[in-house]
Amino acid sequence: MAKEVNTNKEVKLEVNNLQISFRTANGKVQAVRDISFKLYKGETLAIVGESGSGKSVTTRAMLGILAGNAIKEGGEIIYDGQDLMKISEEDFHRIRGDKIAMIFQDPLSSLNPIMRVGNQMTEAMLIKGKLSQKEARRDFNDALKRLNECMNAAGGNEKENTEKCEAFNKFEVCHLKLENEYNRAHEAASDALKGIEDLLFEIEKHAATKLVPDLRSICKLSAASVERYVVFGRAQELKGHISALRRLAHVPAHYKAKRFALSLLQKQAKPWQFDEAAICEHLNAVRAILTEAVAFEKPNFFAMGYYLTFGEKTLPDMSVAELNVYLRKYLDEKFMLDFIGRAKEGLRYSHEVSTAKKKEALETFERLKPVFMKETLDKKEVFAAAKELVEAVEAGIDRLEIIKDNSAYTFGSSLRSAVNQYFDGIVRNKKEEVRYAKQMAIYERKSKNGRDPDYKVAEKKLVNLREAAEDIVAVITRVAEDFRRRIKASDSVDMDRRTVDMIDWLKQKASDVAYKVTRSMAKTRALKLLKEVGIPEPRKRYRQYPFEFSGGMRQRIVIAIALSANPDILICDEPTTALDVTIQSQILELINRVNQERQLSVIFITHDLGVVANMADRVAVMYAGKIVEIGTANDVFYSPAHPYTWALLSSMPDLDTKEKLEAIPGTPPNMIYPPKGDAFAERNKYAMRIDFEEQPPMFKISDTHYAATWLLHPNAPKVDPPKSVTDRIERMKSRLAKQTQGAAEPAGSKQ
Amino acid sequence: MENNEEILLRVEHLCQYFKMGAGRELKAVDDVSFNIKKGEVFGLVGESGCGKTTTGRSIIKLYDITSGSVYFKDQRICAGARSYKIAIKEAQKAYRAELGELKKQCAEELKSAGDREGTLEKYRKLREDAAARCGKIVAENRKQKAAAIHDQKYCDRDHAQRVVAALKQEREEALAACKSEEERKACAKEYKTKLHIASRERIVNRIQMIFQDPIASLNPRMTVRDIIAEGLIIHGIKDKDYIDQKVYNILEKVGLVREHAGRYPHEFSGGQRQRIGIARAVIMEPDLIIADEPVSALDVSIQAQVINLLNDLRAELGITVLFIAHDLSVIKYFSDRIGVMYFGKMVELAPADELFDHPLHPYTKSLLSAIPLPDPMYEKQRKRIVYNPLAEHDYSVDQPSMREIVPGHFIYCNDAEFAKYKAELGAE
Repeated sequence: MAKEVNTNKEVKLEVNNLQISFRTANGKVQAVRDISFKLYKGETLAIVGESGSGKSVTTRAMLGILAGNAIKEGGEIIYDGQDLMKISEEDFHRIRGDKIAMIFQDPLSSLNPIMRVGNQMTEAMLIKGKLSQKEARRDFNDALKRLNECMNAAGGNEKENTEKCEAFNKFEVCHLKLENEYNRAHEAASDALKGIEDLLFEIEKHAATKLVPDLRSICKLSAASVERYVVFGRAQELKGHISALRRLAHVPAHYKAKRFALSLLQKQAKPWQFDEAAICEHLNAVRAILTEAVAFEKPNFFAMGYYLTFGEKTLPDMSVAELNVYLRKYLDEKFMLDFIGRAKEGLRYSHEVSTAKKKEALETFERLKPVFMKETLDKKEVFAAAKELVEAVEAGIDRLEIIKDNSAYTFGSSLRSAVNQYFDGIVRNKKEEVRYAKQMAIYERKSKNGRDPDYKVAEKKLVNLREAAEDIVAVITRVAEDFRRRIKASDSVDMDRRTVDMIDWLKQKASDVAYKVTRSMAKTRALKLLKEVGIPEPRKRYRQYPFEFSGGMRQRIVIAIALSANPDILICDEPTTALDVTIQSQILELINRVNQERQLSVIFITHDLGVVANMADRVAVMYAGKIVEIGTANDVFYSPAHPYTWALLSSMPDLDTKEKLEAIPGTPPNMIYPPKGDAFAERNKYAMRIDFEEQPPMFKISDTHYAATWLLHPNAPKVDPPKSVTDRIERMKSRLAKQTQGAAEPAGSKQ
Repeated sequence: MENNEEILLRVEHLCQYFKMGAGRELKAVDDVSFNIKKGEVFGLVGESGCGKTTTGRSIIKLYDITSGSVYFKDQRICAGARSYKIAIKEAQKAYRAELGELKKQCAEELKSAGDREGTLEKYRKLREDAAARCGKIVAENRKQKAAAIHDQKYCDRDHAQRVVAALKQEREEALAACKSEEERKACAKEYKTKLHIASRERIVNRIQMIFQDPIASLNPRMTVRDIIAEGLIIHGIKDKDYIDQKVYNILEKVGLVREHAGRYPHEFSGGQRQRIGIARAVIMEPDLIIADEPVSALDVSIQAQVINLLNDLRAELGITVLFIAHDLSVIKYFSDRIGVMYFGKMVELAPADELFDHPLHPYTKSLLSAIPLPDPMYEKQRKRIVYNPLAEHDYSVDQPSMREIVPGHFIYCNDAEFAKYKAELGAE
């Protein structure tokens, strides 16, 4: 089903006017020329384009791994209240891999050749586990402290407020310990269950040759689930079955000898025969118990934590469903309703204060704007004004907001860099003038003396002061507009919603604090991930080196490593280009599933349009460092507007293509000398005269669909997409109709 | 495959095993048979590691095959002796077993029967019969084995000898037809170079290969001219002007220009490099091109260019192509017939349209269900079919083999499955 793309969704990452160039021996290559887009939470944005269109460079900038000769010409990438174009390498350590993870095209380049695969997987988990624990503790404490302050400021008993907050902290930790235990046990039980089912299947189908290791791991997992199940009464029974299984799985020492293995290979001896009937019987019993256990309703641990911390020491004897109701009621009456009320007051207070500050900041804007609007700016005056502005804006930020107000958070750094650009420009322009005058004088002297100089004086490279000054004003206006919008919307903010969100956020952070990654946990998790990404015999593979894997397998390892850190944003740089269809489709399913389960945002770079159709909620088509078309997947595939998109669509064969493919003629332009007009004009058979003279702006087609082509200009002649594209869209529609028809019939849907 | 069209390449029971140490073997290609007709494009698909590339490489003699044979233009170019060796061993084993049995019977009969001499005589005769039978099988297989080893080793020499003999005869006739002494001289000179080339002729040269990675397959220290002309030079052609002319022609044919001849591979884009690779293969005027994933390493727009180029060359030169790829849309677009491989076995073989319209083998179905199409609504509803050979097939009793279900459509199955597939095909 097509996922709903909601424009009101939380923005995870914002790219504004990004420009990146590379210094080369032949000149400056403009790789990314002024692109902007937003990435929403939980969505997949696909970036499509030929190699050299700047799609990889854009994503590399997000991770701060641009090559040494890159020049960040301008723009910003805002993530979590930080501008990724400006933060230091140290800060990037905290983001890379943990918050933003990347899967590279070439798996060999991202694996360490002299480390076993298992260690590479757990290493990151362990390091990041410690770090995130520390960070979560800091965040949790800061937020709770600030909430407490605001509660106090909003009025109310200070002592009571503090007590409440501390209590929250206390039982929160208790609850998480319980829940962690439960989760681990639950996980172990469901893993064991799955193992049992696989094993039974195998025994049924043909004699299980690898029975022993499997049985062992199942016994281990089931035992783990017994030890950790807090609310579980049939532990004794299960333990009996497991020890019986252990006995049955025991192979006499003679059969394990090396000599025996050799004679086995030469078919002179028979392997050890297991008592399969007995094993099956016990396995079935274990399966029945575990199935029941896995299907248990999850207890309300949050409430249980409070009950156990502040109420009785033991739980009342009830079924889980009853217990949940009882505990919930207990918690609400004794604590939660009161706490929510107080927190709400605190949040409201903080919100009101920040709104007032925002208004003040707006006034400051108005007052100080003339300073930046002058013909020539005065350095001292501007710096003072900038300082005041930054202070005003920072005061206007509501620190209790969970979703960070992006433009205001980065206002300081963007304003500073804009101002610096202007004043550096003044100095540099002077130097440039002097240099030019000097070299020109020499040149003229030479030519006057009759020695014809065989070189040319390099052109003046001046910073356009007018534009730089306008940039400063633009930075200010953007924040001002944002503030105005927020002030207008401030009355309609749903305080109840925000309170609940705040408490959920605190719970999340507290769970991060309590979540300690141990070595064995990391190993289990790594094995699970290996299995999840479709690597057979994960236990054996865990101990191998990267060179022992084939290309597809290596790529799966890289994906598993990227997922192991539980990132916020996953960047996939052509992850499946080197893989074949079955594995590609498995890996796409994997990424899709993770995307839905963990609500992470994915940026997917590829040139395979089939893959894009599978993955993307939105599609951005890039050409020569610019986004030429952006829209939802349906927009771009069913009503493409840019000639380049048409060309891409018609150049790939699909299953029904019979006619000659329409290859795009020529090659992409040389980005050392980017063309003056539309970069695609040279290869575009629909190009008009204006395409060679002026760059087209982004034309809006619908709320979600934009394209940069002059064909959309009201004065442009009406041009239909090429026949192969319209044909293909027709075919898609008819297939869709057939499919929906087929889905209506139960027999057809199974095929 | 009874057809009037000329069969260019015939692969019979091709097996390619690799040693893995400790007496184990990896069956990379296991008993694969197919034919390629002249002028057609035969596609091989399968996931990575299923042996499709190994098949291609075995055909061009980059590996020594384990058993089976490959006939190219009705001449055996690859042959493996393993199957004959096994047959000999089996026959000898059977013989020994029979001897033992006879001995036992004889002893028993001797105990009971009185006519000692007669019994002994009878059993001696039986023993001799068994020995003769065994000896016949062994001799037959030994002969076959020797022939296989000979073909594997000397097929090129035999081919060259045959060509040279034909050419010599032609020369005699031409010389006889010449009138003056000068004419004779010119004629003799002409035939001398021809003979020189012919004596170096190898039949495998009639098969050329295009590799997947255009960067790795071109020597960075050679100019484009050297790379393309290398085959001709090895072939024994010494006329520089002729070589240059040929290189220029080929360059133009594959969409490059003369000026490119002096450059080095790193100065080209990916698509252009692949064109060089194609030019290198085409200049030998091969009858068969083995294209091992020629477009999978290329950019979108360039893929289309290269596919179009291959298509044009095919129309122009009438080349037969063995196209190995994992991109099913490309293979469907490009091939006439398709063979699907799974873990070293060919599981289904059918004309392209037939295969996509009526896939029968569960693996083919799963493969087809995994193709991503540029159609978001369809894609998001697409359900991948998972193929689990353990669950799908029960080959414990009934061994599978390659069977023809409708003319031209082959499938690897046993009797029960054959009936099932037939019913499935009839129902559709």
